[in-house]
Amino acid sequence: MRTADPEPLEPEMEAALEAIDATLAGDPVDPRHAELAELALILRDERPPAGESFAVAMDARVRDRFSVASGRRPRSWRAVRLPRRPAKGWMVWAPVGALAAVVLVIALVTLVPGGSSAPGSVSSGASSAPGSGGAGTAASAGSASANSSAARSTNTGAGPPTAPSGGERQVVQSARLALSTRPGKIDAVSQQVFDVAGSAKGYVANSSVTATGRSSSNAEFQLRVPSANLQQALSQLSRLRGATVVSSTNSSNDITGQVGGAGRRLAEARALERSLLGRLANAYTTEQIDSLKAQIRDANATIDRDQAALNRLHAQVRYSQIALTIQGSAAAGPTGHGGGFTLHRAGHDAVRVLVVAAGVLLIALAVAIPLALVAALAAWLSLRLRRRRRESALDRA
Amino acid sequence: MDPEPERSAGVIEARSQPATDPRGGAWERFEQLYRSSRDDVYAYVATLLRDPAAAEDVTALAFERAYRRRGTFDRRRGVERAWLFGIARNAALDELRRRTRVAALVVDPEDVAAPSVADGAEVALRRTAVRSAIAALNGREREIVALKFHGGLTNGEIGRVLGISETAAGTLLYRTMEKLRRACDANG
Repeated sequence: MRTADPEPLEPEMEAALEAIDATLAGDPVDPRHAELAELALILRDERPPAGESFAVAMDARVRDRFSVASGRRPRSWRAVRLPRRPAKGWMVWAPVGALAAVVLVIALVTLVPGGSSAPGSVSSGASSAPGSGGAGTAASAGSASANSSAARSTNTGAGPPTAPSGGERQVVQSARLALSTRPGKIDAVSQQVFDVAGSAKGYVANSSVTATGRSSSNAEFQLRVPSANLQQALSQLSRLRGATVVSSTNSSNDITGQVGGAGRRLAEARALERSLLGRLANAYTTEQIDSLKAQIRDANATIDRDQAALNRLHAQVRYSQIALTIQGSAAAGPTGHGGGFTLHRAGHDAVRVLVVAAGVLLIALAVAIPLALVAALAAWLSLRLRRRRRESALDRA
Repeated sequence: MDPEPERSAGVIEARSQPATDPRGGAWERFEQLYRSSRDDVYAYVATLLRDPAAAEDVTALAFERAYRRRGTFDRRRGVERAWLFGIARNAALDELRRRTRVAALVVDPEDVAAPSVADGAEVALRRTAVRSAIAALNGREREIVALKFHGGLTNGEIGRVLGISETAAGTLLYRTMEKLRRACDANG
């Protein structure tokens, strides 16, 4: 490492150095430096001369531009230990490649779904209970309901006709969705809600639409859609033209225990009914017959109630409920998803892309800068170490 | 003042074909540098290593390295001779390190006490005393003698090669000369 000039040379020292240079240049020197001049000339004359064969061979090698294939290297020369340094391009591109890999990994981690969810998106699967796929649940619920109806009229076995089979969960799913739209578009958006309910093979249980043309405009819907089509319906409702999603909540409730309990109660009522019918067949007295008929009526009423309760539970499983509210708002975006290309939307997307890119770049820099500093420090230490080793070799020589 | 840098003599004209190097004049500059510095670099390396065969190897290696790196030379960082001698110095010191690892230093091939027959008696004695004094110098002192009197570098160029200032190089040279003079007086 170069050191700064601490101070100018002393006059005597400077004069001696000038005398040396003058001697080597063939110029006269001050007589008081004659001894120094003589020493300088002797030192110059002690210069080791290059051998003739070496000079000729070097000239040839230079003429061939150090071509390895030239074969002009003298046999007496030992193999030149020329450590091949990595190509300059490699040295440049290796850190660039490493940095690009870091950026790519960060980008993947940042942008992959689940890493950070976009606002307004509906979180699918948030309501799913283990083993309760929408289609499967609805199908199994329908099947259980059919079995229950059949049992109501024909089943005479002892087992509960509608008890859920082992491991098949009965899950009630529901969702709340809040949308925002311009006050003047309440009607148009509400109409789309009806269309979505129809396309999902569901229905609108009740609705309330208040269109005032101002921010007080709002609409509320209670939708019932087959559980198998719940996610499809939510997805469509989230992309209604002219509306944006304000909030979305999915929930689920496992009612397997309730369904099982209702089934058991129904089976017990039916068993009681069969027992009473048997006793009625063997009754002789009028009092006994009347009493048994009264008990059978009560048992039938109990069976009807339990059957209705079971049917309600099955209906809840088969059909999911969506509570949808639409609020008129002047600040709502002019278009929702699927509203087509507009300059405003394109500008919004462009800004978002730039923000994400800047974030990724910032993260990459946060990783790369410390790495670069460490690498630079290591390189500096390596150079210092190598220099010190060389200097120490000179000291030992 | 500093002598002219071009000291090597008797170098055969190496260029036998037009310069077709894609880097333009880089090859011509290198060729000129070779012609002006070959013997100086050899002399410097030979003084440092005290082994003519190793000095030939290292000199060839230094020029080959300089040729490979000729595109990286930056004139703003110094003259080409200092750059070339820096490469040669690194190669020579690496050779010294290698020798230290492998075996003891190779002994001087020449008998430093042997005077030249052509010299007069007094001059011969004086040369013998100088040679003995040089042999007694440590590596750093011997190096600056080699750079100045065998390599033909100016004090500024010596500073660039050693990574020190010109003033520091001058001071080191002056002290080495004083040490040599005292040793010669003592031997004489």
